[in-house]
Amino acid sequence: MTALTRALRLTFHGGGLSYRALFNWTTPPMFIGTLLVSPLFQIFFFVHVGRTLGVADDRFYLLGNAVLATSVPCVYGGIMAVANERRYGTLGAVLLSPRSRGLIWGGRVLPYILNGFVVMVFMMGAGSLALGLPLPASALLGLAQVFVVAAASCALFGLALGALAVRIRDVFVISNAAFTLLILFSGANLPPAAMPHWMSAIGSFLPLSHAITALRALFDGGSTAGIWPSLGGEAAVALGWAAVAYGLLRFFEWRSRANAALDVM
Amino acid sequence: MTTDLAIEAVDLARSYRTRTGWLKPQRKTIDAVRGVSLAVGRGELFGLLGPNGAGKTTTIKMLNTLLLPTAGSARILGYDVARQPLEVRRRIGYVFGGDRGLYERLSALDNLRYFAELYGVEPREQLPRIHQLLEQVGLTGREKERVEGYSRGMRQKLHIARGLLHRPDVLFLDEPSIGVDPAAARELRRMVADLVEGGTTVLLTTHYMAEADELCDRIAVIASGTVRAEGTPDELKDRVRKLDVLEIEVHDAIGEEHLRLLRETGGIERATVETKGTIDVVTVHARPSHASHASVLAALGDLRTGKVTTREPTLEDAYLSIVSDAATAGSEG
Repeated sequence: MTALTRALRLTFHGGGLSYRALFNWTTPPMFIGTLLVSPLFQIFFFVHVGRTLGVADDRFYLLGNAVLATSVPCVYGGIMAVANERRYGTLGAVLLSPRSRGLIWGGRVLPYILNGFVVMVFMMGAGSLALGLPLPASALLGLAQVFVVAAASCALFGLALGALAVRIRDVFVISNAAFTLLILFSGANLPPAAMPHWMSAIGSFLPLSHAITALRALFDGGSTAGIWPSLGGEAAVALGWAAVAYGLLRFFEWRSRANAALDVM
Repeated sequence: MTTDLAIEAVDLARSYRTRTGWLKPQRKTIDAVRGVSLAVGRGELFGLLGPNGAGKTTTIKMLNTLLLPTAGSARILGYDVARQPLEVRRRIGYVFGGDRGLYERLSALDNLRYFAELYGVEPREQLPRIHQLLEQVGLTGREKERVEGYSRGMRQKLHIARGLLHRPDVLFLDEPSIGVDPAAARELRRMVADLVEGGTTVLLTTHYMAEADELCDRIAVIASGTVRAEGTPDELKDRVRKLDVLEIEVHDAIGEEHLRLLRETGGIERATVETKGTIDVVTVHARPSHASHASVLAALGDLRTGKVTTREPTLEDAYLSIVSDAATAGSEG
């Protein structure tokens, strides 16, 4: 078997097993309740606020919150992919692996990207049906592209936060703050024109803001090719967080050996 | 890289810095291991004994690359643990005791499948190897159950299977029989003996002296971070063989005062007490012809005593003697 096949096995097969091992919300009640029902209610809540205050129309909130919904599996999942190793006392056994850290940790992100994609598809479908908004077939290809890039960007952001779990015990405090940060800065619920420049600037370095811009442009009649610049921005954010995640994981692994900073077993 | 030594440590040391408090942080440096030197040959079963906090696990964590030494050096099969960790990791297995360290929501089979990927077991070899190990540790038939429902003994068996997945040349067993029932512990000892017969080098830490006595080719006793004695089990026992060992069953509770009186009795080198069920058993190490049964019983005063026996020194006697000497030296130092 070639080195490439072995690398792919570690990434995909290993990633899938780690998802089942470490993601807390894989049981049907948790999956449906936390990943599907709760974000759907969030869409309805903001749509209601928008209607009442006259800030923006239903579509604005549906598109923003459908993309934002990916942050639940992706941010929390990315964090659980590392933090739960501490919970189970398995981190040491993982760190004893002689295999590539990029493949081990990178593979862990993939199931969350798929999960985030599924959540966004559900939100768009269910939200459109409930609110009576059209979902044109011509937009589906662009929609899929936005969802893939948004989920990847969000999951890598989650992994970067999860890397902190190698050093910090109570990392879920950070995950809650990060989730709120995305609600505030991604532009999902605030029209960009209403956001101060500094908020837009921060948002542009966080996941989802470029993806939401792309999605709104698509539904405003833009072509699939026309949203690529925004998607490129989201992909750049994803790569940036991937680099941060990899750097932090390697750094904290080294620190744990040097400073005995981690209760690895 | 060829070398006759599987494990080689020279003046290995590790200190930890701790910090408590935020406003006025207090920093403390703890020397967990202070200059441990070991040389373990290929195919040898080497025991590392010592009380809790003696530095056994820290030593193992340095040898298996999870911790960097703060001083000294160590090599596994000729590879430096600090500078060549990947080479070391490809050749070692690590089994530790306790309930944790497994993915609770996965089955034993999936736990092993994941670690087979992590430890680089060839894909086509993975399933046959996993089933062979499940059979070997006695988990066949239960491998599809989630680990969260496993007993402690079953978890320990799974730890062992995981440690052996990639057929390591050197195996670190850190208290592997902790919490395991006697039948499973015997099975574990047989398995370890088979591994060594097959050429695997094993470094074992345990609190069970009978286990160490039965299995180990050589033993090092570590206390307060340094090696206090090293040799074969017989060589260690010889250190206390010059003393008579008396065991006295006592049906009343023994106080510190009685032990003090015993220790002050002429000819008595050491006196310890262990509660076994409803009775206390006092073990006295005495110089031959110096302490009679009568003088020992006199020191126990009005306590109700039962059977008094004289026996050959065991590895446990040797261990307690070495550790007690280390504690005395430490308190005097």
